[in-house]
Amino acid sequence: MKAEPKTIINFLSNHFETVKDLFETQTKEGFVRKEFLNEILKENDSDIFNQLIEYKFLKKLGDDYEIRGVYFKFFEFILNEFKPLLPETIEKYEQSIGSLFKKIREGIAKDRNILVQRINELYNEVREFSDSVEKNTLRLVTETRELKSNVDKIDYKEKVRKASFWIDYYITPLNSILDVTHPQSITNRLFEISQYVNVRRLNFDDENTRIQFEKLYNFLVQTNDDLMRQSKILTNELLPLIERIRTESLILTGWIEFLKQPYKAPIPKVFKVFREVPYSNDMYWNAKEYFEQFEGNDEVILEDVQLEDFEKWIFNKELYHNKLIQSLPVNSFFEWAGKTLKGEYKSIETDKFFSLTTLLFEEGINLELDSKSDRQLIKTSQMNLRVPKIKITKHGIS
Amino acid sequence: MEFPRYHKEIVTDLLDGKFILASDPKFVELKNSIEFYNSFFKESFDFDVELKSDFAYILSAETNEQLSRDICIFFGLLCYELDKDGKNFLEEIQYAEFETDMLDSYFDNSAYIDLIQNNNQLKNSENRKQFINNLGRRNIIEKTNDKKFSFTPAHKVFMDFAANFAKGKLTSTDVEVETNENK
Repeated sequence: MKAEPKTIINFLSNHFETVKDLFETQTKEGFVRKEFLNEILKENDSDIFNQLIEYKFLKKLGDDYEIRGVYFKFFEFILNEFKPLLPETIEKYEQSIGSLFKKIREGIAKDRNILVQRINELYNEVREFSDSVEKNTLRLVTETRELKSNVDKIDYKEKVRKASFWIDYYITPLNSILDVTHPQSITNRLFEISQYVNVRRLNFDDENTRIQFEKLYNFLVQTNDDLMRQSKILTNELLPLIERIRTESLILTGWIEFLKQPYKAPIPKVFKVFREVPYSNDMYWNAKEYFEQFEGNDEVILEDVQLEDFEKWIFNKELYHNKLIQSLPVNSFFEWAGKTLKGEYKSIETDKFFSLTTLLFEEGINLELDSKSDRQLIKTSQMNLRVPKIKITKHGIS
Repeated sequence: MEFPRYHKEIVTDLLDGKFILASDPKFVELKNSIEFYNSFFKESFDFDVELKSDFAYILSAETNEQLSRDICIFFGLLCYELDKDGKNFLEEIQYAEFETDMLDSYFDNSAYIDLIQNNNQLKNSENRKQFINNLGRRNIIEKTNDKKFSFTPAHKVFMDFAANFAKGKLTSTDVEVETNENK
């Protein structure tokens, strides 16, 4: 590669959005389609195809492309977006670590250069194993929390499917790889190695090799702590979290099934209170119903009424009845009423006029209606009344 | 004869259909004297004391079918609506505080509106308030104020029921027994 390392780093920095899009595509699909590459370059308005090839960022894969492993891992690391490894992929380290350890033990008294190289190889394998576990745990934590917070609002069936998927294919197998109580787990194998290395770092006769054993021992102690921490996250956080999603979904399934036929489905027992109370259980409803019937729904308008006149003048029926009797015979009752009021009050108040009208219905008053004559006009204080001519006779004698 | 501390309150509460909660000093007394209370309720009334890790209650052969069904419908609807709202309903019911306004909004806009309208306890805001008060009397909810409440651990009785219902653990025999009891 001709380009300077700094140039490549600058290039990645300047075109970060474009390369990030390419990384995300490869994460999803496993490679970068030619059409998608062109589309991304066009969208980001960046003519960088040649540099992507020159800096060995992309590798041709038939008609399509692939981000080279070293760049892909770099992006996984800086974006903290790891593709989870299947536990069986992680398990392969058990074999490689086991086989290197076996060779170290067998060749402990043989060529020291090879021994040191094997120690370094073992160191690298353990580091790769530890990295893979950490990446998987990180990814599983993210996935599980997303599932728990449910920002995408996926329905419960999908949620429980995903939860089961993560439990069955990743969390439980990874947990068994790390389970220190399991005799075949890698953690136990590493523990066994560290015991052996611990002895060798102290008693091996060659100093350089002792130093290598010392380095490996310290690293194994640290790795052991890391793995214990990862295992704790899985056991204490992820499993309960994801188990809870399963429980939650089970309960929801139960309710949905129950709500299909809520009045036919069986129900849990609830204690029936036998206590006698001095009032009925339906007291509230009965009282409510009782009061509701008095709730007036009709619109009521209150107006200011001038009460002064009413208070001042009370119709004295007896007085006017006597006056009428004394005036008999009367040719026109209404005319008489008008004159009487006018004589007393100088005006004919409508209310007073109507009050006097009630005299017509008194006992001993004999009416004669002259239907042929015209109606008379009586002007009261508030209105003009056209009234018929009613004759009042004296005891039946005109 | 010496009786456990709070004896009268324990018996009164349980006979009133209340759940005695672990947060209540009566619970410890009941738990410590569980053998006494088992025989006391069995011999006196033929009732069974159900002691769980965080609450206790009594059961008789006769069950309050209507209340139980209403509570189940209420929890079923609430869990469904909370889940639809993207919430972890189990956590919400365990830890969150509920407002009656929020409850109204869930129930009034529910897809189960027909079921709600045909249920006398749940059909409108006013009736739901009475229903919530009823749950309060049984210690299934704890009221913070007139408009706010939270669920007590007693809600687990109904959540367990739903989980068992889903698992199909309620066999046809169980169903028959329950139905006969309710007649």
